[in-house]
Amino acid sequence: AYKRFSELLPKEERENAYSARVPKSQILTLPELRANPFQHRICHVFSTSETGDDSMSFEDFLDMLSVFSDSATSDIKSHYAFRIFDFDNDGILDRKDLEHLVNCLTGQGEESQLSGAEMEQLIQNILEESDIDKDGTINLSEFQHVVSRSPDFASSFKIVL
Amino acid sequence: MAAAQGSPALRAAKSCKKQRTVKRQTGIYTYQEPPHSNSDDDTGEEKAESHDPEQIFQNIQYQKEIMSNIRCRPWPMRQKLRALRQAKEIVLKYEGRLTRTRGYQAAGAELWKKFIRLAYNFVVIFIPWEMRIKKIESHFGSGVASYFIFLRWLFGINIVLTIMTGAFVVLPELLAGAPFGSTVSKTIPKEHIASAQDLDTIWSLGGYLQYSVLFYGYYGRDRKIGKAGYRLPLAYFLVGMAVFAYSFIILLKKMAKNSRMSLASASDENYTFCWRLFCAWDYLIGNPEAAESKAAAIVNSIREAILEEQEKKKSKNLAVTISLRIIANILVLLSLAGSIYIIYFVVDRSQRLERTKKELTLWEKNEVSVVVSLITMIAPSAFELVAALEMYHPRTTLRFQLARVLVLYLGNLYSLIIALLDKVDSMSVTDSDVNTNASNSTISLASNTLSKDDNLTIPNVQIKRNGFVTLEEHRTQGLTDSLVNQTISFNTQNPQDQCWETYVGQEMLKLSIIDMIFTVASILLIDFFRGLCVRYLSDCWCWDLESKFPEYGEFKIAENVLHLVYNQGMIWMGAFFSPCLPAFNVLKLIGLMYLRSWAVLTCNVPHQQVFRASRSNNFYLAMLLFMLFLCMLPTIFAIARYKPSLSCGPFSGQEKIYDIVSETIQNDFPTWFNTVITYISSPVVVLPALLLLFMLIYYLQSIARSLKFTNNQLRMKIQTERTEDKKKVVQMAVARIQNLDANDKRPEQETDIISQESSARSSTPRKNGSVLNFESPVSKGTRIQTISQSVPQAVPTTDVVRPANTTPTTLTSLTPAPSVSSVQKPRNDHITNRYPSVVHRSASELCKTKPYTPVTFKKHTEDVHSDPLFRKAIRQVNSDALGARAPVFLGCRPYATRYFLVNENESRKKSLRSTSRLQRHFRKEESRDIIELYPRHVRRYVVRTPHQMYSPHPSEDEEDEEELEKEFMNGSHRPRSLSDLRPGSRFYIGDHADGHILMSKDLGRVHYKSWDDGFELDLDRPPYAYKKVHLNYPEPRAKPKSKQKLEQSLTESDSISIESSSDPQNSSNDQYIQVIHTKDKYPKTGAKLTKKKSKTSVDLSMSEPSELVCSNV
Repeated sequence: AYKRFSELLPKEERENAYSARVPKSQILTLPELRANPFQHRICHVFSTSETGDDSMSFEDFLDMLSVFSDSATSDIKSHYAFRIFDFDNDGILDRKDLEHLVNCLTGQGEESQLSGAEMEQLIQNILEESDIDKDGTINLSEFQHVVSRSPDFASSFKIVL
Repeated sequence: MAAAQGSPALRAAKSCKKQRTVKRQTGIYTYQEPPHSNSDDDTGEEKAESHDPEQIFQNIQYQKEIMSNIRCRPWPMRQKLRALRQAKEIVLKYEGRLTRTRGYQAAGAELWKKFIRLAYNFVVIFIPWEMRIKKIESHFGSGVASYFIFLRWLFGINIVLTIMTGAFVVLPELLAGAPFGSTVSKTIPKEHIASAQDLDTIWSLGGYLQYSVLFYGYYGRDRKIGKAGYRLPLAYFLVGMAVFAYSFIILLKKMAKNSRMSLASASDENYTFCWRLFCAWDYLIGNPEAAESKAAAIVNSIREAILEEQEKKKSKNLAVTISLRIIANILVLLSLAGSIYIIYFVVDRSQRLERTKKELTLWEKNEVSVVVSLITMIAPSAFELVAALEMYHPRTTLRFQLARVLVLYLGNLYSLIIALLDKVDSMSVTDSDVNTNASNSTISLASNTLSKDDNLTIPNVQIKRNGFVTLEEHRTQGLTDSLVNQTISFNTQNPQDQCWETYVGQEMLKLSIIDMIFTVASILLIDFFRGLCVRYLSDCWCWDLESKFPEYGEFKIAENVLHLVYNQGMIWMGAFFSPCLPAFNVLKLIGLMYLRSWAVLTCNVPHQQVFRASRSNNFYLAMLLFMLFLCMLPTIFAIARYKPSLSCGPFSGQEKIYDIVSETIQNDFPTWFNTVITYISSPVVVLPALLLLFMLIYYLQSIARSLKFTNNQLRMKIQTERTEDKKKVVQMAVARIQNLDANDKRPEQETDIISQESSARSSTPRKNGSVLNFESPVSKGTRIQTISQSVPQAVPTTDVVRPANTTPTTLTSLTPAPSVSSVQKPRNDHITNRYPSVVHRSASELCKTKPYTPVTFKKHTEDVHSDPLFRKAIRQVNSDALGARAPVFLGCRPYATRYFLVNENESRKKSLRSTSRLQRHFRKEESRDIIELYPRHVRRYVVRTPHQMYSPHPSEDEEDEEELEKEFMNGSHRPRSLSDLRPGSRFYIGDHADGHILMSKDLGRVHYKSWDDGFELDLDRPPYAYKKVHLNYPEPRAKPKSKQKLEQSLTESDSISIESSSDPQNSSNDQYIQVIHTKDKYPKTGAKLTKKKSKTSVDLSMSEPSELVCSNV
């Protein structure tokens, strides 16, 4: 992992890779993240940078890999998945988040995007299923409850370098 | 929280707690610390100062726990490292104090862990194709990778099988058996030797290959070989059986493991949409193309789900689809039957050809296996076309497809083996036929010649024809010679040709080879060249090749897996007759692995349909198991039914193959063993054993059934609980609406309340003045008051004024909700509403019980009132509690009220544990005498009110996660029981109360920050709980007057604080002030209460806090 990380750094910073930060654009060139629709979110969630430019230190990078590794528990995985899906960082998944999420999944193409009615229906169904307390949003525990029942969440929520 | 975690032992309890609570609230995402660690933390902190070795040990244990659990916490790496380092430091620091050996142990464990890790890393290198699979996984996702993992697993199994057969059968035969050419069965017949090295013969596995260790026929029949006396025939038989046994065991084991892993995913839970959305993306996908197709698949599945949902309500015209499906099924059945017939026909034809023709062409020799392979290749595609007719849901289509293909494969294998065995039958028949024929013909020929001789000798006169006769004689001589030669050659050739086991083995191996060739060809042709064409011709073609007709080949996971299963089935079927088949299969699998992975990476796109990796694992295995079982049957049948060939193989000369076992037992084991075996195999033992087995099976099955039943019940329970939760939410909503109606009546109610209050305090005029102040309350402030009022009213009821007040209270209790709902964020709705609704419910119950209240001035009225409230929660406890309360009279009443509060929280959670705990608490307090109760009430209230806000607090975070809530309840209960246990030490309790109050203060701040009304509601509980105590005081009339005064002043302060909160209208800023007031009040009242026990200067001290509150306002 360290090797991969230092590859992302420019040459002159190689020697102090532990303290250096890799900008977001560099991180996104990783083949593992390149195709991921949530790449920006992943960067954002794992970045500890104060300036908010989503750059990653080596520790952040390790963090990310450990969450996406095989040995991470599904609790952790679902926790971070929730954070990744929580686009406005307010601790709950509301309709906007869900819409955003669906759009991320379906891609940018015109024909692949869901129409408004479909989206409405989808979000309605999702909320019906998962929103236990009926407050119109999904919070972390609801999310974890749902996701933990899924048989292949843990197997798909991982990244292998 | 993490920081608190990191240095728990080094910090004072208060600061630590403060930090923790603050953190818990501020960071939305901070992990909920499990309650046990919470309490451990507390003890750990105490221990840091104390030097009790046991405590130190516990502390160390706790720190170690942190270390081991640190991976399970979603903190940033930096925090984790820091916490880990600190925990380690502490452990190091204190561990030395205990024992040195423990340190050594730890060091050893550390070393061992490192070594294990190293070893694990080392082992990973040797896992074959790990990197390759990972690469595929990263390109195509886990579905495709599961195919390769399955392939690898099969490869492992085959390696073991190869080792088994190789070590116990092939190697001994090669080393110690009779060398090649020494016996008849090991030599190539003369007329074949010329062609034995031709490619043609080798290709059809004749010639040298036929007479090699590859096949059954080569193995010697000597009972013992070599100097050591290795019993080859026995080993052959046992290994043949062990192959099956091992496969069975390993398969079942793997399946059990898999099913245990996937046990958590109950199929009844329906979160289709959520899963499709939240778990849709496979994060392993790194290839843009794969990502595109994955996205398309997700869109499709989502659309499908939506459509399904929409069409669920509609009914469709099914006639067309049903007829189409029937047609499709007929087609499939026809094609299945056709394939079976073709195979049978081909085998039969080859048989006939062999009989009639001497030289067979290459095609004729390989006809059978080629036809079988062709069918296995073509038929699935045909089925796919047919399946398009049916218009099923894609997943159902896939299932149907798989089932059909599996049936096809099985049919192929079965028809093949049946045809082969048929041939074997006819072969043994012709064998005897040929023998008799040969002898007959020689005899007839001899007689013929004799007769001819006779004929010839008799007409000696006919000298004319002499020359002819001699010529004839010569000819006959030659004929008989040739005939004899022929018969001799027949006799020498027959034993080798008639070795049916070798024949079957040959056929299976041939099939396997042809199958491999076809697979390679199909990969090259269908995938590679198609890919090449599409890639390079798409520029100069009239339509887009990449997206329209030819496209790139899809990687059909299910079909490929089925093919693997089929292949493995062939191996199992043929392994007995051709011991080297597993070895061959190993090679084949290696080749397949490389070829497939290459093909997948270069020229395939992932399957459009989503084939779930986790589910599929067991699915593959189940198919494999099915295949194994069905493949074992014909082999076992052949072994049991057919007589081994006479002149070849290890079992030649025996009646049945398995006779070898009994023979060995008879000859080579001591006699006592033999007798034991005969006893065991006698019906006397076998029948009871069988019966026992049946009984066992029945018993286990019934157990499994009952377990399933309980399982279902539990699931039902969960479901009903969930629906009940939903219902509750709905009820709350209804209550909210009702409350809106009752909103306007508020002012009068309040006056009523106040008047009631005052009546409880032998009404002072000053209070009425405060009532006037209350006339202008708006929304929020009233809530606090009303709640605080409603609960005390619900329980302490001996006042005369009481009956008159009941109606207002119900109304007041209705009021809080609207005010809450009006301001609240939607998110906290349910949390906040719980309380009002519970209160409301209790109040409404009160309404119902109103007729009772006038009648009863006794203590039992309270019971009556509380009863319905309690019944809401847990009936059993209720009766218990009532029974327990009866003898204690006055002193118990406050307790009862308190219990309801606790129960309100707990009943919602429906945890049985909490009920039991309640009972226990009850008994504890019961044991106290009435007089002593008085100070303790107060004290406990001080102690407990924080809990009451504590316990609701986690519920906000946890929502309806029952287990976690239970844990939290546990955590919140513990300190209380501690305080219960130590009633004597006043100082201690005061301290405790302080701590808790500080905590509550923190909470208050936090709540203030988050501006959540729900939290405020919780905060507002302490005042009412507090007041409740005072309202109860008048009842014990035996108390001195000073207490009453104190009560008055206290209630005064309460009402003032309420006032302060009610005056400032909606702004929660002012409520913050109010919260602080309550805080201020608490420590002081605690202190006062201790003073009050000594009964000195009560009034003065009491007036102080109220003044303070006033000034603060």
